[in-house]
Amino acid sequence: MARQGHLQIDRVSKQFRVSGAPLHVLDAVDLSVAPGEFLTIVGASGCGKSTLLRLIAGLDTAFQGNVILDGQRVTAPSLDRGLVFQEPRLFPWLTVAQNVALGLLNAGLGKAARDRAVSEHIVLVGLDGFQDAYPHQLSGGMAQRAAIARGLVNRPGVLLLDEPLGALDALTRARLQDELQRIWAAEGITMLLVTHDVEEAVYLGDRVVVMAPRPGRIAAVFDVPHPRPRDRSSPALAGLRDQVLAALEATTSGPPPTGMVHIASRPALAEQVFLPAE
Amino acid sequence: MRAAAIPAPAWPAMPPGVIAVLFPLGLLALWSVSARFGWFPPQILPSPTEVGTALLDLARNGDLARNSGISLLRVVEGFTAGSFLGLLLGIAMGLSPKTEDYVKPLFTAFAQVPTLGWIPFLMLLVGIGEPLKILVIAKAAFVPVTLNTLAGIRAVPSIYVEVGALFRFSRWQLLRKVVLPAAIPPIFTGLRYGLTHAWNALVAVELLASAEGLGYLLVWGRQMFWLDTMMGAMVIIGIVGFTFDRIMAVIESRLQRWRLA
Repeated sequence: MARQGHLQIDRVSKQFRVSGAPLHVLDAVDLSVAPGEFLTIVGASGCGKSTLLRLIAGLDTAFQGNVILDGQRVTAPSLDRGLVFQEPRLFPWLTVAQNVALGLLNAGLGKAARDRAVSEHIVLVGLDGFQDAYPHQLSGGMAQRAAIARGLVNRPGVLLLDEPLGALDALTRARLQDELQRIWAAEGITMLLVTHDVEEAVYLGDRVVVMAPRPGRIAAVFDVPHPRPRDRSSPALAGLRDQVLAALEATTSGPPPTGMVHIASRPALAEQVFLPAE
Repeated sequence: MRAAAIPAPAWPAMPPGVIAVLFPLGLLALWSVSARFGWFPPQILPSPTEVGTALLDLARNGDLARNSGISLLRVVEGFTAGSFLGLLLGIAMGLSPKTEDYVKPLFTAFAQVPTLGWIPFLMLLVGIGEPLKILVIAKAAFVPVTLNTLAGIRAVPSIYVEVGALFRFSRWQLLRKVVLPAAIPPIFTGLRYGLTHAWNALVAVELLASAEGLGYLLVWGRQMFWLDTMMGAMVIIGIVGFTFDRIMAVIESRLQRWRLA
């Protein structure tokens, strides 16, 4: 069986209307993500990176172009695409275990299988012993772990992460980055992580996508060839970080480069680098 | 936080339970003193002892239990019917803006006529028997329950609803697992108001059209010029209302255990 989780974003555009005038949130975005790839997306605020994740999740279907996962066009949310939001979004009236179990409500599992999946994923994110805690009893990092467990509990082929570590302190953040990496390796799933932290993007990603705002589009894509486990302080990684940072800064300084051709909007090139393993 | 910076006057620290009874006790003392010194004629303001004796008499000859029981039964019936319909209508309007468009203007107009204002019309419609009381009480509970349920459902954060959408919740699952639990605090506020309004309406309707019940005991005391009986009935009405509110508060905090602990 071919590995699942091959995601194709095919000329996706999206407009909002802001007080009558159309605002181009995404403009002809092309991207191909290989099964099992860890892709990170950085960009200035307003570049549409969160919107892109919402479109892939199927939460927002009013857009042009196609989002295709394993040959199927995305038209609605699916249990095969998990999403972890910027804030944990746990239901405060449910315990950790109940919150995670909510993800399985429509998974068609029996009670025993459901309970097993819930406790497995609580252990996976390192929340063992906190099954019966209520969200207000958790720290920010623990709540986000619970949210990640909920995102993973259906064993989705693709996990979308919308700046899930943005609100955490540096130490918790670094620890959860390693946890994410470990989970990604263990589950073998495709992960898309949106972040505003370039260091995080370079540390975690197989590729780093830099997006530019107004209109939201892909400005550059960087390969991160460094083998894992990676060393945060390695000079090679730091060099790449500086390159990504420079590309990111270029997206916000100066007039918007309207006619710019960028490599990732040429699908042929993207395909060349990342052939889906079929 | 800024209030804390202002030096508090040096009151001795007292547990809230003590503070809560201080004011009523003070009033009772004032009442006793005024009765003792005859500030009011005893025909108008009987002494606390007389009211206590009258209450004991009412308790002994069974009038108190019988009339209280009748009033309680009426309020339970009316409140159950009114709050049930209020929950249904509030949920329906909360979930469907179209329903709200159709129903809300009429409902607002309906709610604007005070509960007491409905009594003459209802008397013509159903007479002055039990149905009148139940209808009036139900109406009194119906309005606050509907409004608070509607507001509560509308205030459910869309970020929670989105989580439901992500996991492909059906409409029913969304209602059961997300909307109702999130809306419980305002819905309960509505139920609490509803019960208070129901109790008030009960006393009013019994004053106007009844031959039994605590409200009737009030009128009867006044007509007979047994002001001690009348005031005794007032005390009981107040205590029962207070107890209702406490019971609702306890249920409320039980339902929201996740907020505490």
